[in-house]
Amino acid sequence: MTTTDEDLAVDLLRAAPTHENRAEERLRAWARIALAFGDELAATPDPLPAPEIAEVLGGARDDVLVLAEYDTRVRTILVRPDGISRAVKVLMRAGVSVTAGELRAAAVAHEVAHHRMHRGEGRELARRLGHTAFRLGPWRIRGHVTGADELAAHRFAHRRTGIGHGPLALTAALTRHTFGG
Amino acid sequence: MGVLILAVMAAGVLLMLTRVLPTAFALGFMAIGIALCAGQPLFGGKDSVAQAVLQTGAPMLASTMIAVLLGSWLGTLMEDTGIAATIVRKIVEFGGERPTAVALGVFAVSILCGSITGSAAAAMLAGVVGIPAMIAVGIPAVVAGGTVLMGLAAGLPLELIGWQFLSDAVKLPLEEVRSFQLKVFPIALVLGIAYIVVELRRKGVRHAWSVRAPGKARVRRGDAPWYALVTPLLPIVLALGFAVPIVPSLLAGVGYALIATTRPGGFGTTALKSLYRAFDVAAPPIVLFIAIGMLLSAVKLPGAVKALSPMVSAISPSSPWFFVLVFAVLVPLCLYRGPLNVYGLGAGIAGVLVSGGIYPAPAVLGLMSSYGQVLCVSDPTSTQTVWSAQYAGVRPEKVMLSTLPYTWLMAIGSLALTSLLFLA
Ligand SMILES: [Zn+2]
Repeated sequence: MTTTDEDLAVDLLRAAPTHENRAEERLRAWARIALAFGDELAATPDPLPAPEIAEVLGGARDDVLVLAEYDTRVRTILVRPDGISRAVKVLMRAGVSVTAGELRAAAVAHEVAHHRMHRGEGRELARRLGHTAFRLGPWRIRGHVTGADELAAHRFAHRRTGIGHGPLALTAALTRHTFGG
Repeated sequence: MGVLILAVMAAGVLLMLTRVLPTAFALGFMAIGIALCAGQPLFGGKDSVAQAVLQTGAPMLASTMIAVLLGSWLGTLMEDTGIAATIVRKIVEFGGERPTAVALGVFAVSILCGSITGSAAAAMLAGVVGIPAMIAVGIPAVVAGGTVLMGLAAGLPLELIGWQFLSDAVKLPLEEVRSFQLKVFPIALVLGIAYIVVELRRKGVRHAWSVRAPGKARVRRGDAPWYALVTPLLPIVLALGFAVPIVPSLLAGVGYALIATTRPGGFGTTALKSLYRAFDVAAPPIVLFIAIGMLLSAVKLPGAVKALSPMVSAISPSSPWFFVLVFAVLVPLCLYRGPLNVYGLGAGIAGVLVSGGIYPAPAVLGLMSSYGQVLCVSDPTSTQTVWSAQYAGVRPEKVMLSTLPYTWLMAIGSLALTSLLFLA
């Protein structure tokens, strides 16, 4: 594979519902910032207390797979074993071998990143992205970049778990295949 | 005779519930069956099945059908020119850090879309970009789907097509329908906002690692220019602020959308292409309105009125508060193609209530409008609910459970208003 993480990240951003028409360079710049932010986040220790982890049913449908969620209200990571095992099967068909254990660890790490960003560290990411949605003289409104936090969380999980195929590559592989059965 | 008519109705509802027959066909057969059971002849005379039910009944809601077609045309144009998608993108860009703000923004867009065109077309206008955008900022999928639907319901009292339908169905002047619907709007608006705020607080924002199966790739279109973004407001402002009739209001919206987004040389082609596509979008509701027209004509036949009025009046609550209580309890009967579905047998029952003189026409209007709200959002068999739920990745029944407490309250509010205005 010659595609880099950055390429995959650009594709992921472009698939987000607000970036369809954005220029390649703009998306690439955002992707670079978000991935670097994920690296930095992974290099610093997680603040205590750590979020709780719970397993919940569901997550495997023919049109959507959910591997894990972070519930901001109760600050809990919800792991979806059904979604994970279905993803393992789909990936196997795609020629990517990953175990359910590895995928689970990556999913938990991904949500740890969301937990940290939600608790305040995400503001720094928004600052670095520096997207201006509206400007009138000295006044500017900072715009939201959909999907940037997702890229950071993917990279964070890759760094923390060190699995062969990172969450970015796995997500890209999943989106190319149907989820049935 | 009355019992026979009720049996025909029950059979019709059963056919719709079990999906043996599409709703429109079931309603059409019901209309013929009711007329025959009411002792009307098949041919001959103005009250015959052939004349009253088929010839006069089928085009009875013609004004509504034209409004549906024009609303669909405007909706199609807003989709083709990227107006709806651009509005949603701007909302996400401005409000993205605060999921509640994003949801309220998409809710507002859904109100506008709901006010110009009904059902699934409106849900798609606001939802194609809006639903994944809401999920991307962490709004739970059920609430994302529900938000678009609550927006449509809040837009329903402002929907020009809906005014025309209610006006034709209960034979009231449009101004009276409009004035009542404007009083319903704040109730729907408040409960819609309550849904978003309460459900987001209850369920919390969620960040998921989720993957969507490769669907049809969304067509990428450029952003519409800023001055085109007021398009969905135009018909309502004209109809409300300047008392312009419905057809010219919608046409003005179409004209403005064309001028704001298309090069002069392309007017003809773009207009015609989107109009032809609009026929596809408008076909299901138009077929339904043909059948409802026949049903309304059937239940208004002298034989049917004579047979049904005593029965319906015997079970219809007469005191104003009893009216609210009984019809509030009966709300679920408008779900799942049930007998009180106002885009089904419910329209026929409304016809009986009016022609039998059981309630004054404005009260029946209020009843239909109240049930319309619930139906629009919570009925897991209505096209907009199915589309929104599936597009969000949840089952329609889950959207029903999530929204029903709010739409039920909406209905109770409008029923109370009806009772206060027309029965007290
Ligand atoms: Zn995530």
